[in-house]
Amino acid sequence: MSDKIRDYIEQQFLIQFDEDFPENTDLFKEGVMDSFGYVQLCRFLEKEFGFRFTEQEMTGNILTSLSRIRAYVQQKTAQGAGGPGAI
Amino acid sequence: MCGIAGFHHAALPGEDYPALIQGMLGAIAHRGPDATGHVLTPGSALGSTRLAIIDIEAGVQPLSDPSGRYWLCYNGEIYNYLELRAELEAAGCSFQTHSDTEVLLQAWLHWGPDCLPRLNGGFAFALLDRESDELILARDPWGKRPLFYAPHGQGLVFASEMKAFLALPGFSFEHDPEQLASIVAVWTPLPEQTGFRHIHNLPVGSWMRVRGQERRITPYTQLDFQARTRVDSEAEALDLIRERLRQSVALRLRSDVEVGVYLSGGVDSAVVALLARELSAHPLSTFSVEFADPQYDESAQQREMAALLGSRHHPLSIRHADIVEHFPAAAWHAEIPAFRSAFVPMYLLSRQTRAAGIKVVLSGEGADEAFLGYDLFKETLLRREWAAMDEQRRQACLARLYPHLGHYGSQDLAALTGLYQQFAEERLPGLFSHELRFQNGRFSARLIKGGGDPFQAVSALVAAAPGYDAMSPVQRAQWLEFRTLLAGYLLSTQGERMSLAHGVENRCPFLDPAVVELAAAVNLRFDDGMEEKRLLRQAFREQLPDSILHKRKFPYRAPDSAAFADCRPDYLDALLSADELAKIPFLDGKFVAALSRKIMNTPAPEISTKENQAFIFLLSIALQHRYFVQRAAPPVAPTVSPLGRAVDLRPR
Repeated sequence: MSDKIRDYIEQQFLIQFDEDFPENTDLFKEGVMDSFGYVQLCRFLEKEFGFRFTEQEMTGNILTSLSRIRAYVQQKTAQGAGGPGAI
Repeated sequence: MCGIAGFHHAALPGEDYPALIQGMLGAIAHRGPDATGHVLTPGSALGSTRLAIIDIEAGVQPLSDPSGRYWLCYNGEIYNYLELRAELEAAGCSFQTHSDTEVLLQAWLHWGPDCLPRLNGGFAFALLDRESDELILARDPWGKRPLFYAPHGQGLVFASEMKAFLALPGFSFEHDPEQLASIVAVWTPLPEQTGFRHIHNLPVGSWMRVRGQERRITPYTQLDFQARTRVDSEAEALDLIRERLRQSVALRLRSDVEVGVYLSGGVDSAVVALLARELSAHPLSTFSVEFADPQYDESAQQREMAALLGSRHHPLSIRHADIVEHFPAAAWHAEIPAFRSAFVPMYLLSRQTRAAGIKVVLSGEGADEAFLGYDLFKETLLRREWAAMDEQRRQACLARLYPHLGHYGSQDLAALTGLYQQFAEERLPGLFSHELRFQNGRFSARLIKGGGDPFQAVSALVAAAPGYDAMSPVQRAQWLEFRTLLAGYLLSTQGERMSLAHGVENRCPFLDPAVVELAAAVNLRFDDGMEEKRLLRQAFREQLPDSILHKRKFPYRAPDSAAFADCRPDYLDALLSADELAKIPFLDGKFVAALSRKIMNTPAPEISTKENQAFIFLLSIALQHRYFVQRAAPPVAPTVSPLGRAVDLRPR
């Protein structure tokens, strides 16, 4: 799961996570993520891991960094919201 | 309209003055193909290349006072020159010509720098006082006309376009990574920025006194959005809008040559065209860009408006391939990196306009800034209230602000809500209104290595702006729009640099001081600002067709990176060849390679706005580096302007 999300973000946002750009970097603050990319990322996660974000979830400062996204997706999939891409 | 150029105590050999000033003027001869003229004094040269519009026979430049002490080279138009002339004549001044150039000279001699706030127009000028050996440079309040200068030896050189400096031996261009990072992050240069080290743009609304090595810049006007007109009702506001715009268009129709109109398909240029038709003695000529790609095209509204006006309409059809073919020439004329390709069609439109025999056009620029036409203003209003709103109200406001979102479903509205949540509080002091835009600008700033904090310069600009702190969030947004996007792109790169590439002068009736002041007095007084330019639409609702009156703001755009990926022109080697890229040391090679690869290999709908912008910035920087820093041959043939007046006042 981790690599799928990481690969997606690296390819979509033209970045490379490393010691200079750690996984807990706020992607909005760094200008990596904009509204267009945010919507695309949400759609990717929903499709890949088989769950839907509620509106509250999407507005709750959840998807701001790779580490937060990863933790959140782990929590969602552990809740049994399995689907086509669930692990 | 003209171009001006010159030098003042620069490190240049005296025997070469005639060739040097002619070389500088030759580089900008496209701005004024009718005649060049210059005056040489010990240590100085001033010249102009003229597009003759008012008093065609007698308005030759440079112009001196009868004593020969003062010499003026002037670029632009003073629309209220007849009124100023009457005032000056009443004060005892006498005139030899009917030109606005002489009015400007006499106004300076009579009032000194206090004449500047009296001038209603778009202008830049250089005035030499031979007795005190002082040089005065000045520029209009909006950024209609440019004036660049650079220190040179113990003095300086100046010109309407930086390419004039290429004619000076030993002058070298060097991009400044800090300025470039700011430009790409903010979308446009700040008032003094040019992207090049040591070259400055004289800030709009300022004048500079040059005496020896001393240079002092003084602003003569402020953009304060103070309501000076008392307006008690909406009906009164609508009457005043009609009256002041009519007066503004009438002033801008003063010309000894025919004045045409650029029709965009939106409400602003439609209003200008309506008034121009009403006030013109001859049938109107209108000009429009049509796009083969329907997502950018507004030809239906343009043609409907032209039919309503009964104008001689000249549509110009633009394909992807046209943008790609002419991008290098347009980037050469623009000189400063651009964030979108929409300036290229304007370059071609001015060519067509000139070919149709028109050398002055009116257009709708300034209406969005003055009458709150951009989504950015609505977003600012909404974000300011965000924290105090409940979820239901937020969703309702977003749905009103972005009606097209309904097509995509509630999940996208939720995503947008998430984004607003991120930007509900000010993070960059003083820049609240622009933080969404600027955050996206950070992506483009990744192009530049060693650029530092790309928002440091704009933060310093607003911190130093008189009265800025006291402005409302929306007024601050307006101030930033006037000083960045309007002056730094719409009026310059997309505006006068493109029109004057083919000797066409553009005039903007919405940028009349009386119109902008009135807008400040009526904005948000009679509505909540969520319907853009509502008062302007209301004022002309009886005369405009519904299709234009009720059309949502349609930003003028042109095909961006997809056009280049489709056509793959040879000059993309500037980005795709590692050897070529290595010639531009301040670009982040890794990021540039990743961006170029993505643009070239990804279907257009999957390219985001910020990626498009970063790519157009990158391409314009690379080409401008090639022409200015590496001094490759320019992509356009030089224009020749005949020598009309040469005055040599140096001792023999």
